[in-house]
Amino acid sequence: MLRLIVALGLILGLAFAVTPAAAKGTGLIYVSNEKSNNILVIDPKSYKIVNDIAVSRRPRDMHFNADHTKLYVACGDDDDIDVLDVASGKVVGKLATGSSPETFAMDEARRRIYVSDEEASTLAIVDMDKNIIEKEVPTGAEPEGVMVSKDGKTVYVTSEVGDLVHEIDADRGYVTRDVVVATRPRRFAATPDGKELWVSTEMAGEVNIIDRQKFVVTGKIDFLPPGMRQSDVTPVGLAMTKDGKTAYVTLGHAAHVAVVDVATRKVLDYILVGKRSWGITLSDDQKTLYVANGLGDDITVIDTASRKPIIAIPVGRVPWGVVVDE
Amino acid sequence: MSEAAGLGALLRLAAVALFGLAWVVAAAGQEGAAPAGAPPAPPQRHVKIAFVQVDGDPRYAPIVASDRIVLKKREHPFAGAEVSIDDAAPLQRILGADFALDRIAVRSPADVAPAIKQAADAGTHFFLVDAPAAAYAPLAVAMHGRDVLLFNVSEPDDALRRQLCAAEFVHVYPSRAQLMDGLVQYLVSRKWTNLLEFEGPSSADAAMTEAFEHSAKKFGVHIVAQQKFEPGTDPRQREHNDPALLSAINRDFDVVFAADSDFDFVRTVPYHLVRPRPVIGSIDLRPVAWHWTWDHNGAPQVNSRFEKKANGGHMTGADWASWLAVKMIVQAVLHTRSTDFAKDRAFILGYGSFDGDKGLAVSVRSWDHQVRQAVLLAAPYEVVASAPIEGFLHQSNELDTLGDDQPESTCHLDR
Repeated sequence: MLRLIVALGLILGLAFAVTPAAAKGTGLIYVSNEKSNNILVIDPKSYKIVNDIAVSRRPRDMHFNADHTKLYVACGDDDDIDVLDVASGKVVGKLATGSSPETFAMDEARRRIYVSDEEASTLAIVDMDKNIIEKEVPTGAEPEGVMVSKDGKTVYVTSEVGDLVHEIDADRGYVTRDVVVATRPRRFAATPDGKELWVSTEMAGEVNIIDRQKFVVTGKIDFLPPGMRQSDVTPVGLAMTKDGKTAYVTLGHAAHVAVVDVATRKVLDYILVGKRSWGITLSDDQKTLYVANGLGDDITVIDTASRKPIIAIPVGRVPWGVVVDE
Repeated sequence: MSEAAGLGALLRLAAVALFGLAWVVAAAGQEGAAPAGAPPAPPQRHVKIAFVQVDGDPRYAPIVASDRIVLKKREHPFAGAEVSIDDAAPLQRILGADFALDRIAVRSPADVAPAIKQAADAGTHFFLVDAPAAAYAPLAVAMHGRDVLLFNVSEPDDALRRQLCAAEFVHVYPSRAQLMDGLVQYLVSRKWTNLLEFEGPSSADAAMTEAFEHSAKKFGVHIVAQQKFEPGTDPRQREHNDPALLSAINRDFDVVFAADSDFDFVRTVPYHLVRPRPVIGSIDLRPVAWHWTWDHNGAPQVNSRFEKKANGGHMTGADWASWLAVKMIVQAVLHTRSTDFAKDRAFILGYGSFDGDKGLAVSVRSWDHQVRQAVLLAAPYEVVASAPIEGFLHQSNELDTLGDDQPESTCHLDR
């Protein structure tokens, strides 16, 4: 088994060495579909599907490497992270993870992937080159959202069942601080100044704001789109603009994206999307927002200036996330 | 009382796997250097939780076909509580507290109250009560005004929420009224509103039928005929033991509702009616607190942890209730940062968003201490729907379209 993993790692390393860097910025949209086990590639202008890439089962979270030559895809039902070659659209490697990987964070400088293992209640630290789990950090039950700090020194993980956010020392590999948040914390966004950590708490229907220095909750944001039921407000996905002024929050079953003014923490607007909206991504120019509607089998494309949906594009079964190659 | 504890298997589960995330973390740290922000000393405070069951409880007798084929093995929902204790393990370092689960088995429903009183005298505040309805009235009397919360994890009897109405109880398991309201909401949403009813001979069947009829009236479903069945093969009784003859009425119907808590006669009903109609109630489409195929809201993770704990067994509604009861206690300690009973009790009864992995946030109704929750409508291999069904509206919380809402409740613990 170990030999196999090492061999895989070698192949992977080789792939890195020989693949020419694809031109960064094709602008193509990549959508992971949990139930049809594929990544659909969509042209951002015509909104046509231009490629359909079969991957391991239950693809969810996706991240590009820095030069966008590779796309990493967590595949929950095969317990791995598939590595896609962006230029060829082929799966060129697989990194073994713990069971049922959902979200992860990458630190290319340290050649590491941080992935939560819900069943083992640990954060697995995967060595991207050796393709081994180098360490497992115990967390609260059902760890979910993962974020790594810009300097790579700190990793944040939510525990869905424990109502906790952990701060983990990335190099030493243990939890340094914990903070109790509202019910069922899911995903993160960080303000660009590095001061605040925003975390969606799905069951409480809130976003909690954590002071990263003191590591305490200093504020919360409530949501209620017009005409929706409070009980359907289940925030999951978060995206923040580069200037740190605006945050977008997907509200799950309430089928809206909330637009939040970061400074005042006020909700400015609600934009209608599809059912069980989770995954959310901003285009590099900050003009377009992409939202995956898990129970609508489509993605919504939103114009951020007018805060209006432009189009809903049918994709595969149960779309989970969207990333843009740019 | 000492008899009850002595005769029953008093099984202390010291939460062995639990102590010392501290050490795990320490071991995970880099060798040598004592890390800054190192974990604090091991837990100082202890929270005791007792799980009380009745040996020989007929609700857990295996269901056996006439030829001795075991159709369903049924287990006390202890494993559900164990999963929740395991879930709490990583919190011990943070809480400075640990959770110990005691299993107390008594011989009869009458022994439940004395056993709980004895354990409460010895300092336990939290009890998971896994006992038939008969155990509750004496329990309410024995524990009246005491510093305890008694979590009902397996009994749907509406009378416990209505007539008995005791402040020490928290009914985590759904009431029959909640379950049947969920089932009928689904029928209404499908416009299957003409029902033929089959009622079995037991008192549980009568209670289930009564709850169903109440729900039917509440949501405007028409019962076209009420038939009583008698299990058996006596040809002289064929009008009462043959589903074809029972369903041969001069009115059409959309669905047969069958109440058969023995799960005996009802097995012969599907495919034996005179018309091709689905069967609901005790077979095929059933309203349940939980189902092993539920795959939303984090349920697959819980089901998977449970199946590991229970050697592949499926998590039942009672297991879910046990799991949630322990979770409520743990969350109380986490959010109040206290093991003070009064604070934890107030949190449990007042918190608005416990996560029961069934979508809508779970909380305790102030008037009858019933846990408001979604009801799953489960076919054998699929959760067909989750109630409240879309479109059934309520002025404050859609979950209160299921079961006894404040205005119609006869229990007013909130006044």
